[in-house]
Amino acid sequence: MAYVALSEAEKTFILHGVEVISSVPLFNSLFKVSLFLQEDFRCDGRSRRDYRPMELETGLVSNASGSARLRLANTDILVGVKTEIDVPNPLTPEFGKIEFFVDCSANATPEFEGRGGSDLAQELILSLQNAYESPLAFDYRTLCLIPGQQCWKLYIDILILECGGNLHDAVSLAAKAALYNTKLPRVTATLLDAGITDLIISDNPYDCTRIGTDAVPLLVTVCKIGDYCLVDPTAEEEVCSTVSMVVSVSMRNETPFLSGTHMTGGGSMHRDTMLNCIQLGLSMGEQLNKLLVKMLKAEETRVGPKRPKTVGFLK
Amino acid sequence: MSTNAMIELALDRVDWNDLAGNQEQLPRVFTPGEVLMPESGFMRGHGTFVEEENIVASVAGVIEKVNKLISVRPLKSRYVGEIGDVVVARVLEVGQKRWRVDTNSRLDSTLLLSSVNLPGGELRRRSAEDEQMMRHYLDEGDLISAEVQNIFEEGTLSLYTRSLKYGKLSQGMLVKVFPALVKRRKMHFHNLPCGASVILGNNGYIWIAPTKGEEQEGGEGGFVQNLNEVVPRSEREVIARLRNCILALAKCKLMLYDTSIQYAYEESLKYEPRELLQQHVMFDIGQQTQARLRDVDLVD
Amino acid sequence: MSGRLELLSEQGLRLDGRRPHELRHIKCKLGVFEQPDGSAYMEQGNTKVLAAVYGPHQAKAKKAEGNELIINCQYSQATFSTSERKNRPRGDRKSQEFKMYLQQALSAAIKSELYPRSQIDIYVEVLQADGANYAVSLNAATLALIDAGICLNEFVVACTASLSKSNIPLTDISHVEEVSGGPKLTIAALPTAEKIAFMEMSERFHIDQLETVIETAMAGCREIRDILEAAVKEHLIHIGSAADWARVC
Repeated sequence: MAYVALSEAEKTFILHGVEVISSVPLFNSLFKVSLFLQEDFRCDGRSRRDYRPMELETGLVSNASGSARLRLANTDILVGVKTEIDVPNPLTPEFGKIEFFVDCSANATPEFEGRGGSDLAQELILSLQNAYESPLAFDYRTLCLIPGQQCWKLYIDILILECGGNLHDAVSLAAKAALYNTKLPRVTATLLDAGITDLIISDNPYDCTRIGTDAVPLLVTVCKIGDYCLVDPTAEEEVCSTVSMVVSVSMRNETPFLSGTHMTGGGSMHRDTMLNCIQLGLSMGEQLNKLLVKMLKAEETRVGPKRPKTVGFLK
Repeated sequence: MSTNAMIELALDRVDWNDLAGNQEQLPRVFTPGEVLMPESGFMRGHGTFVEEENIVASVAGVIEKVNKLISVRPLKSRYVGEIGDVVVARVLEVGQKRWRVDTNSRLDSTLLLSSVNLPGGELRRRSAEDEQMMRHYLDEGDLISAEVQNIFEEGTLSLYTRSLKYGKLSQGMLVKVFPALVKRRKMHFHNLPCGASVILGNNGYIWIAPTKGEEQEGGEGGFVQNLNEVVPRSEREVIARLRNCILALAKCKLMLYDTSIQYAYEESLKYEPRELLQQHVMFDIGQQTQARLRDVDLVD
Repeated sequence: MSGRLELLSEQGLRLDGRRPHELRHIKCKLGVFEQPDGSAYMEQGNTKVLAAVYGPHQAKAKKAEGNELIINCQYSQATFSTSERKNRPRGDRKSQEFKMYLQQALSAAIKSELYPRSQIDIYVEVLQADGANYAVSLNAATLALIDAGICLNEFVVACTASLSKSNIPLTDISHVEEVSGGPKLTIAALPTAEKIAFMEMSERFHIDQLETVIETAMAGCREIRDILEAAVKEHLIHIGSAADWARVC
């Protein structure tokens, strides 16, 4: 993570803002604490469950099959999805493949120059791989062309252009948006002699299929500051936190499911706190997912199938 | 448990240029390499150089003439310090007899042990013990307010805090903006009527903190930080609102000084502090503040 | 000069419909990001580049040699920037080469003598690559340096040129034209002073043609410079007017 220096006094100020201000005794169970949630007030005026405003655009990289840019306050993520035809893994002949790649651009901070961002990139890749691992979280069968012979391989290439905290959430939102935007050319298989099948890939750029993204997971970072958990930490709040839970949430039949979770940071937390974090993450993930899908659909209706032009980095 | 999350579409992005409005008299702007005037009779200042007997701009900006001195000031750059400037700075390293601090300048700045007030009176001699205690006074990461005392040959700023108004900063919040947005004025410390105080560092670092009570006045300049004190919610709201207002003004490229900040604060009261993070609200605050500042200018 | 595609149609138009001396459409914006000291976004046709500048700041001790300004560049290309996916964004021979060329061309423009013991970091990120990647990167870097308020001798801009089979010079080469096997010349110039800060050429052509191709690239540089200058002025007017030029007076 990009280095942010804070003095003890600044940390104290952030910490007190997260904790209950009035001298209410502290409870461990989330239920009891929620009675006093109205009291919490972070440095930018948000409560512990508020996200900063986000901005979304899809389809802005013309060389990719799908793309999206998500800005969460100062965090700026650009995702491009590239496709390629590959041979399925013999153990899962009916599954396609997904590969994640994260690049932390030095544009975000000079610390990322050269290989400086590779540890962070690796951490993000692992989180995403974990979240997407279950076939219930991502339906790998939709990427299958001929079982055991040919399948699609999706490269989800993530570029971090600016860092303003909460990278996990932003990256997963952008990845889901890019997958939603991804168009695979229609492929028809013809049977040749001797049982060999040949693939015909449609040349028509408008003759394409989409990927089912309903269950595609989102990551929610629940950050523990003092005795409390919050979502969408700023870079400064991340410095004050000793430990965070990254909760990956996949929706099925309107119900949030956990598709992976891990802890980051050096600290430890009580078992009850951890369960509370996961609960909070699931609930946030469900709401984020609804919001994202709604906005993706809204954008789609507004730009139409033949997008005239993108906003991108201009304006 | 509900959240306040919001995703906007890039299609609806605010066009910040709309704040520029129609101006009747535009000053002439220059870009690097553009000839300003013949050299004869003039002296070249910052942002210019001489080539083939002409004064040429080396940055993009507006021309400034002070008597015979011609300079071009860029609208955005790192902090270029001047003696007497008020700055907010962060300690990078504790050295021998000096601290290395970050002031957003081209080079790291210096705070000499002899330029700070030590506990126990102003005229005390600096002893070897003091040298060992340096980290105790100011540690890495600590923030201070200070004044630029001197500028060394290659441009390193030397700071001093030997006045009661300067010193280590306690609880509060730092906001960074481009230095050019902070208006150079006589006063950079303000106890705003809304109930918080700000230090508008000339270097673009702005400190927002609760206003100190009468009895604590003069307590700064030292190294005391009250970490056990809890800033009450009411003051936090003011501070958060100020923070968001200052960022909104900066986003709109409006100048920052006590009046503009106070106006923005007043205009913001119709919103919740967290709503001020939304671009449309920021734009609205900018627009309202701009209109009020223009009205004041007309009266003058 | 056989074995390569004819780059001009019988009507004298290029593969993308441009005339031989026509540049691709240029769009740019200064101050895209808030964290760097300067930033810019530039589109030249379908080549899209982001540039960020950090500094001038105190030079890192290990790199400092004497008191001179260190100009530190990085060229990086997003893995999805090309039609064929790239395996890594940087570290390959091409990006090392471009990094050096950027350093070279920018050193000619930056007034280094004003920044002793300092360092300026310039990072470019190519989001979409469709020919003249180096040239567009350099142009974006120049804009980012101007946005950061760093003193320059003048704009340093780059442009590419090629030669059609019928020996007609072409300006601002697109990716398709690059791979069709014609010669390619890249020039980074200080157009007002008519100085060349960097030049690179590949493939072969007759020495007699060199002069015209260089002139074509130089003409392209001049034209790009004018476009960038207009963009910088417009940007200044916008941000200056918002504050009613208060910071000037």
